[in-house]
Amino acid sequence: MGSKNKKVSLIISILLVGGALAYLALGNFGENLVYFFTPSEVKAFSPDYYQKKVRVGGMVVEGSMEAYADRLGMIFELTDGEATIPVTFEGIPPDLFKEGQGAVVEGYWTNQHKFQSNLIMAKHSEDYMPIELKRAGVELPRKDFMKSLIQ
Amino acid sequence: MVIEIGHFSVVIALVLSAFGIVSSILALKTRNVDWVRVGRVSLTSIFILLSIGMASLIYSFLIRDFSVHYVATTSNSQLPLFYTIAAVWGGHEGSLLLWVFILSTFSTIAVWLHWRTQPTIMPYLIGMECLIIMGFLLLILFLSSPFDRLIPAPPDGKDLNPLLQDPAMVMHPPMLYMGYVGFSIPFSFAMAALFSGRLGEEWIKVTQRWTIFAWLCLTTGILLGGYWAYYELGWGGYWGWDPVENASFMPWLVGTAFLHSVMVQEKRKMFKVWNLFLIIVTFSLSLIGTFLVRSGVLTSVHTFATDPERGLYILIFVTTIIGIAFGSLMIRAHKLKSQVEMDSMVSRESMFLFNNLFFLVATATVFLGTLYPLMVETWQGTKVTVGPPYYNTVFMPIALGLLFLMGIGPYIPWRKASQASLKKNFLVPLVIGLLATIILFTLGIRSIFALAGAFVVGFSGAAICIDFGKISSLYSRRASVSFLKGSLSAFTSNQRRYSGLLTHVGVLVLVIGIIASTVYQTEKVVSLKVGDEFIIDDYRVKLERIHEVRGKNWSAQEGVFEVYEGDSLLTKLRPQKRVYDASQTPTTESAIYAKNMGHIFLTMPDVSPDGVAVARGVINPLILWVWGGGGIMGLGVLLNIFRPRKRDE
Repeated sequence: MGSKNKKVSLIISILLVGGALAYLALGNFGENLVYFFTPSEVKAFSPDYYQKKVRVGGMVVEGSMEAYADRLGMIFELTDGEATIPVTFEGIPPDLFKEGQGAVVEGYWTNQHKFQSNLIMAKHSEDYMPIELKRAGVELPRKDFMKSLIQ
Repeated sequence: MVIEIGHFSVVIALVLSAFGIVSSILALKTRNVDWVRVGRVSLTSIFILLSIGMASLIYSFLIRDFSVHYVATTSNSQLPLFYTIAAVWGGHEGSLLLWVFILSTFSTIAVWLHWRTQPTIMPYLIGMECLIIMGFLLLILFLSSPFDRLIPAPPDGKDLNPLLQDPAMVMHPPMLYMGYVGFSIPFSFAMAALFSGRLGEEWIKVTQRWTIFAWLCLTTGILLGGYWAYYELGWGGYWGWDPVENASFMPWLVGTAFLHSVMVQEKRKMFKVWNLFLIIVTFSLSLIGTFLVRSGVLTSVHTFATDPERGLYILIFVTTIIGIAFGSLMIRAHKLKSQVEMDSMVSRESMFLFNNLFFLVATATVFLGTLYPLMVETWQGTKVTVGPPYYNTVFMPIALGLLFLMGIGPYIPWRKASQASLKKNFLVPLVIGLLATIILFTLGIRSIFALAGAFVVGFSGAAICIDFGKISSLYSRRASVSFLKGSLSAFTSNQRRYSGLLTHVGVLVLVIGIIASTVYQTEKVVSLKVGDEFIIDDYRVKLERIHEVRGKNWSAQEGVFEVYEGDSLLTKLRPQKRVYDASQTPTTESAIYAKNMGHIFLTMPDVSPDGVAVARGVINPLILWVWGGGGIMGLGVLLNIFRPRKRDE
């Protein structure tokens, strides 16, 4: 093989491998984005959004929390001051989850106009060390991510 | 009073860093060695002054001087001594000071260490390091000072975040920073090479140990962080593609690419521009990583307060350093054409090329996933996160590809491999890889990840073992000693190579651990009363009682769970639900029992007033291989750093 040929075949193979990897990196990107909304925005969702995984942030309404008697989980309400949405949650809430505190929930807005979630990220009201607390706040999504490898 | 001494020292250090830059420029302009000496004195003095700064801050923590704002926000009178010292880097002000302190330590060591052998590099090295130090000191003094007073002083401090009150968290930030900062030395040497036009292989040979040391620190830091997340956050996993984790993973990925590709330049004088590019990117990502985490920019995604001034300053500083680096690389690039060209597609060189390609795509993926939400939020105002499934789908093939290369690269000759040698070297490993896959398949394992993993791990592991076995037996026959002695002398005969391969073995062990503990993890969440039991895997777990326990600065409800295997009591696990006194923050403390290289992991996230506890059990098979693999990797790197010097080094 001539030196020019070698160069061409090298470049082609780099492009092939690189292209495949780039496709892998970019092709999956869009569908793995999870958008963040406020309760008011969620209330205004069109039916197109019913099957989309979203995150909603707000305050947990005082007195709205009610644990299920027969299984793990609870219902509560989340508000942004203007609109309030009911949330049904299955699972274990994080340590910092409390009424009257901020929380971010991940899940789906259903056609019964309830938010179905199995993931809560709680926020701390004090202002120190937000970064580490944020790490703490995401303790639950970690639970699921490795599992996604199997699928 | 003491904190003012520290503050004042850091102010002088800032002045001296400017002085160091000026003296380096003068040294280059006048060609007068005295100016280099002035630079060296400046840098050494900066190190001493920053030591005083650190000491004064530590002292203020120890005497619990809550009139210092930073002490009041990150510690408390009841905080145990060990964590009181760790609290020094528990918040961003103190951790930035730690960063620059480590930077001044490393650069001072580098200047004294290479002073005799690398005189021409010195002005550049001193100038560059002083520039970075100055950037950090400006940030610390004007936008993020740990020395500010809080008048009137509060009666007690707010306390260190309970999640950080943990031994692994004490060491995690310093190790990460030593990694980040360690890369500044090869970076500065590379910049010196670019500025001075001495673009040979020298800068790479001189800094090889620095690079690998930095890599070791960064790897240790990342693993410690994972270990901490594993048992402290109570979710039973160790890596979540959190932006904060990603920030430390990006320099690791490029740094790993760099320490591989420098070998090509050493041996074949190729990849010259590429290596400069890689070290610049590595250090830039270290800076970006520090700042992403420490500026609070990343948290804005989750609406925590950020400081826009600090963010802006950081952006300008990082852009300046990166701009200088890439600018000079572009100006010099034309001088750096390789004298040699790639001979063949099937050669060690091209394997390194693909190694680099894989690592860079991996980095680009993490970069995109970490920064895309920031960009969207800045420009569109919408908030978005990138889910872990994204990273997993992209990383799985990349990781498998890299592991496969690990089995090929070291055993393929430079320049060009013949068909015969390929067959000789790789036929047996291929068969072993396939066998491993078939065995797992017949055992009923159907996960593609596990099967593909078994193939590459089997292939690469076999390649490494067969080659080392051959060499060892050669050495033992030649000196007619035992095989063990032969392998020892084989190892020391080319310690750089074999310590690297030992690190590869560590990676393989780590990967086995990751695959097993990920794919075959069992989890069960139940609510139960005292006397109730639940079954998880082969174990029966019974809640014996719940009682109150008291620590120095926390109180907890502790569940005592008896774990049975069959009818025999294996162990008693005691997970806790703690509440820390000062902040009234609840935390969930896990309890772990190791068995068959795996873990039985138990937490008790909730106890209701009427005595119903929520328990979460996780079985993580082979999880100890993850940390064990990390240990082997570390051992390999240490043997590399402390290898006897060869004549050509």
